[in-house]
Amino acid sequence: MSVLRTTARAPIARTALAVLAVVAVLALTGGLLAPLDPLAQDTARILQGPSGAHLLGTDYLGRDVLSRLLAGTGLSVLTAAEAVAAAMLLGVVPGLASVRFGAALSWISLRAVDALMTLPFTLFAIAAVGVLGNGLHQAMLALGVLLAPLFFRVTRAAALGLDRAQYVEAAELMGASRSWILRVHIWRKVLPTVAVTTAHALATSLLAVSSLTFLGIGVQPPAPTWGGMLAGDLGFLAQQPWAPALPAALIMLTVGALNLLADAVRDAEPADAVRGAGPADTAVRKEHRDGLAAV
Amino acid sequence: MSAVLAPGRPLRAGPLARRAARAPRTAGRILAGTATVFLLSSLLTFALGAVSDANPAAAALGETATPADIARLDHEFGLDRPLPAQYGSWLVHALGGDLGRSWFTTVPVADSISAALPVDLSIAGLALVLAVALGGAAGTAAALGHGGRVDRAVTAVCTVLGTLPAFVIAIGLITLVAVQLRLLPSGGYVPFGRNPAQWLRFAFLPALALSLDAAAGIARQLRSSLVGALRENYATGAVMRGLSRRRVLLGHVLRNAAGPAVTVLGMSVPMLIGGAVVTERIFNLPGIAQLSLRAAEQHDVPVIQGTLLVTVAVVLIANLAVDAGLYALNPAARRGRPARAGQEADR
Repeated sequence: MSVLRTTARAPIARTALAVLAVVAVLALTGGLLAPLDPLAQDTARILQGPSGAHLLGTDYLGRDVLSRLLAGTGLSVLTAAEAVAAAMLLGVVPGLASVRFGAALSWISLRAVDALMTLPFTLFAIAAVGVLGNGLHQAMLALGVLLAPLFFRVTRAAALGLDRAQYVEAAELMGASRSWILRVHIWRKVLPTVAVTTAHALATSLLAVSSLTFLGIGVQPPAPTWGGMLAGDLGFLAQQPWAPALPAALIMLTVGALNLLADAVRDAEPADAVRGAGPADTAVRKEHRDGLAAV
Repeated sequence: MSAVLAPGRPLRAGPLARRAARAPRTAGRILAGTATVFLLSSLLTFALGAVSDANPAAAALGETATPADIARLDHEFGLDRPLPAQYGSWLVHALGGDLGRSWFTTVPVADSISAALPVDLSIAGLALVLAVALGGAAGTAAALGHGGRVDRAVTAVCTVLGTLPAFVIAIGLITLVAVQLRLLPSGGYVPFGRNPAQWLRFAFLPALALSLDAAAGIARQLRSSLVGALRENYATGAVMRGLSRRRVLLGHVLRNAAGPAVTVLGMSVPMLIGGAVVTERIFNLPGIAQLSLRAAEQHDVPVIQGTLLVTVAVVLIANLAVDAGLYALNPAARRGRPARAGQEADR
């Protein structure tokens, strides 16, 4: 917990959190905040610059750009979060379970992770949508499957390291229950790492979602999304060269804030908790394992 | 030689002999791992088709398909056999270069892919060259001027590039170079074999858009490992022996610092291919992603599976090349699988 508290004190992390809080509010209430109907077309005023009636101008169908940006935040951000939630579920549970795997099963599960990591996000999501039907949930499930290895690896590494920590063993000897140890000792240690991974996964997922919506995958065209707006602007670069900058800036801001936050959490971690340097093995555990290996 | 001269140390085989002895075993392990990964990916690719309710009759005939049509076409494409048998014959044929026929056009999938793949490979190849050149130069410059103005500029640019999807960079490049300055075409393609100069005109912008993200990753990685390597004793020693800055850098430090950057380069290959999907759409290139997008719209399962499998094969071959490169740079890295430095973000 102290790691997250230290993080929250760093100025960079505060800025990032503020940006993310704004984005989250927009994602949940964006449609209500929009000054005009994001789908209403006004063919008399297409491709206009900023004005009193349209603060950020209009697009090629005369729709209000500001309203579309606000209304599109929800679909763009919440779908990215859906993919990350799926990835967490698919990664954390097998990651914890994999501590109990034998050598052969471990090897296979690590190769499965490698297999998932060789698949490019967009192509796999396109394939999933082509086979399962064009829907956002299909695309996000595909994305979640490909993001799961991030969580699997992190959880597995942490669980392997902590399972043989001396203080865990001491707690066990004193009669602590498995769930209490998980909650008090292991979860608090794993939390910062999971937080970093989640922030990275969200950033990756957001980039992938904007690529997919740019291609028109998962979302039907009239619904506004950041990626879809970029696709619409592409045909009118000669008239409105600055138009793609607006959705692009929102994507950049959100992804940048997530990356900065992840870095801040990592910097706040004490040096000995850096990945790879797990706690020392205890004599009893080692003996126990050697005994198991001999059997 | 030093092993012989050093007192009290047992005689050991030279580094070359040790390297030679270890090579086949590691190579075997890596190949076994790669083969397993390919099998698992192919299983996933096949399962994707198996769980769908898409069928050739619906893809080719649409709403007008009768149950008799469905049964006939299912039989024609071998879909009435048990799944393990289907998977086995699909995989065996795929390894022989036969990926089946499109449900929609009945054109062999392998033909469509071999027409589209050179577009992606040539552009991804150019993107790799650009990424190495730009990232290498920027990373080296930043490390040499560690803490200075160049270093801060490179770090800032890399951070910004990391937050941008490849297609946003592509749109920016089109706006600037193609629409405003009219220097290069904004889309289209000419095969390399027909006219290399024209190919370069059309391929340069997409390749640049694809490469910038990878270049940023390489620059960041190279910078941090170069900064570390320049502080090592052997680097100081080389300077003290009077070697020129250039020779210290090229002959000693860069070779040792390049390992992690090569790993990042290898990880960027799936990203380059993934990014190619969107870049192809923006620049209107007749590549493998356009093929896959069209197939996805038509629920043309054999084409979808074929493109995915070929992509996996390309990525795995690239990974093997990276492993070989790492081995050539530093045999000690081969004790375990190389740590895939950094995160797999931005694919």
